[in-house]
Amino acid sequence: MNDTVLVLSIASAIVAGTPILLAALGEIITERSGVMNLGVEGMMLVGGVVGFWAGVNTGSLTLALFLGGMAGVALALVHAVLAVSLRVDQTVSGLSLVIVGGGLSAFLGSSGDPSLLQSPNGLDVNPLFPQSLRDLPAVGPIVFGHDIVVYLAMLATVGAAYFLYRTPSGLSLRAVGEDPAAADAAGLNVVRIRYLATAVGGLGAGVGGAYLTLAVLGTWQNGVTAGLGWIAVALVILAGWRPGLALLGAYVFGGLRGLSFTLQLAEVDVPSDFLAMIPFVAAFIVVVAVSANPKRARRVAAPAALAQPYSREAR
Amino acid sequence: MSRISVEPRAHGGAHVHLGVPVASLAVALLVGAVILAVAGNSAFEAYRTMFDASLNGWTAFSRTLTLATPLILTGLAAAVAFRMKIYNIGGEGQLYLGAIVSSWLALALPADLPKPLMLLVFLVGGALAGAFWASLAAIPRAYLNADEIITTLMLNFIALSLMNYLIFGSMTFWRDPSRQVPGGKKIPESAQLPALSGRLHAGIIIAIVCAVVLWWVLRQTSWGFQLRTIGDSPAAARYAGMSVSLKVLSVLAISGALAGLAGAIEVSGVTKGLEPRSLATDIGFTGIIVAVIARTNPLGVVPVAVFLAAIATSGTALQGIGIQVEVVFLLQGLIFLSVTAGEFFVTNRVSLSRPASTSASGTSTPGSDTAPVVS
Repeated sequence: MNDTVLVLSIASAIVAGTPILLAALGEIITERSGVMNLGVEGMMLVGGVVGFWAGVNTGSLTLALFLGGMAGVALALVHAVLAVSLRVDQTVSGLSLVIVGGGLSAFLGSSGDPSLLQSPNGLDVNPLFPQSLRDLPAVGPIVFGHDIVVYLAMLATVGAAYFLYRTPSGLSLRAVGEDPAAADAAGLNVVRIRYLATAVGGLGAGVGGAYLTLAVLGTWQNGVTAGLGWIAVALVILAGWRPGLALLGAYVFGGLRGLSFTLQLAEVDVPSDFLAMIPFVAAFIVVVAVSANPKRARRVAAPAALAQPYSREAR
Repeated sequence: MSRISVEPRAHGGAHVHLGVPVASLAVALLVGAVILAVAGNSAFEAYRTMFDASLNGWTAFSRTLTLATPLILTGLAAAVAFRMKIYNIGGEGQLYLGAIVSSWLALALPADLPKPLMLLVFLVGGALAGAFWASLAAIPRAYLNADEIITTLMLNFIALSLMNYLIFGSMTFWRDPSRQVPGGKKIPESAQLPALSGRLHAGIIIAIVCAVVLWWVLRQTSWGFQLRTIGDSPAAARYAGMSVSLKVLSVLAISGALAGLAGAIEVSGVTKGLEPRSLATDIGFTGIIVAVIARTNPLGVVPVAVFLAAIATSGTALQGIGIQVEVVFLLQGLIFLSVTAGEFFVTNRVSLSRPASTSASGTSTPGSDTAPVVS
């Protein structure tokens, strides 16, 4: 029964959803500090190309994820300088990250001979659990069948939730995102916290991008993320800035992404272009539906100071 | 001891509004040169090749203007919305819809229609289609406050899949059954914009007219004034009796119409049929870069679009000297980033100053009215 359509699609949804989850968790931390970074797509691309390069050349998954994450952090810090220090419009700054990330990753990916574009395979990432567990009916492939990154992303979800709601640092972070003036008066370093939170967002997107190119897709192409970063940004809104819901949502989007594969297995004939549309239609509908529900909108509002630059002098 | 002091400035003169973007462009090209040099290429040779391929001589320049035509329109589309701080980043999808609907009109209407009538229907149809696609995001934005950044972006991917389906995924009305490689049916001669010189077509005139009209509307009409007021402070605008919802709808409709018009003109003047590969080349997305560099000024959009078109057209020439096309994307990104950072210098006066007091310490005091960014 482990090769039934349902079991296989749930298992693949979890893998496909993991890059989205990593990026969305990072963005939740960033936005909770009051910084909106729309550049997730660009940070994933840069993390993706650097991680792919490191993985293909060294064969080390750890190193690839680390360097991919650092590339994401580097780009995120550019946003921090623009949005936090120079206080330029955060939407425009985020968009500039998308474009510079796309351009830089395309340039890096096509450099060298042979370039990454000609590099056929990613890394074979081994499953974490022994064969005996993976052979269990249903729960084998779904629960025990994955590589270590999938479980680390799950752990990171728990960690992010614990950090935000149960630690003093998490409280400080949320305070800065809700009312930076009050947080500043209470002695918190608003600029430092926002820089750190933005860097964590870059880390999530960078690692997510590296995992996507190396393990999920096993290939590098220009613009290989194909909108996944934007799905992650939408997911943050849908999840109401909460890590737990982001995990659920990421797996659902991962499942929608893999729908063509699923339907192929089930021998249902739907044009592939329409299947490619589904995650985006779903994200569109859910963003509108979330806005249409005033009760929910009150309960899970965005951080009050989201996208507002903070300046002591302008208080 | 001197330190860098920063203070906000209300209105910079023309030297600021023109000087800062130009300086930002220079910085971006410089950084690009360094990256090219690090990658082992001659930056000087690369830039000279790009200049020769895009601006040096009429043949090259007319090729640049051909590409600038849709960029002016998508730049205007982004500029009008950004001016109200409505971030329509769906120009890409609105352009596709304009191309899909206008090419359908050209194929469905009798081919022997008088050319002016056919062109009018064709272009208006494309603009309306773009406005319709934008309205899918505009209505939830106006009445539910649904984030237009996300919704317009999702609509881009949906429109792209739709266009791909019409040509690659099926045997629809748009697709030419006689061609081996999937492609669109050729539109009749009556729907093609007249050529001016080589590949350059009359679309450039339409684009420039749109820029001048939009500039006039934003400057001279109360609609244009209200746009900026709402962008600065929606609450104050509402208090002054302006209907913010209606303004959101009208701005996004105009924005979408301009992007849709870009799609129609591209089909009419360049691709002559629904050709996804030629249309999905980030024209809508690049329009955002154009609008930001032009600081949402419609007249500024025209030269900026020509400049970015020059960079984009020279990509293939770079391959001739062994440099990859992707340098174009890198430069576009660097320029956008640099201009975004430059915005800080437009809104703030940064100067080297000596402390006014007799104390020569030069250290900063927290809460002083000139915040030291770097001391």
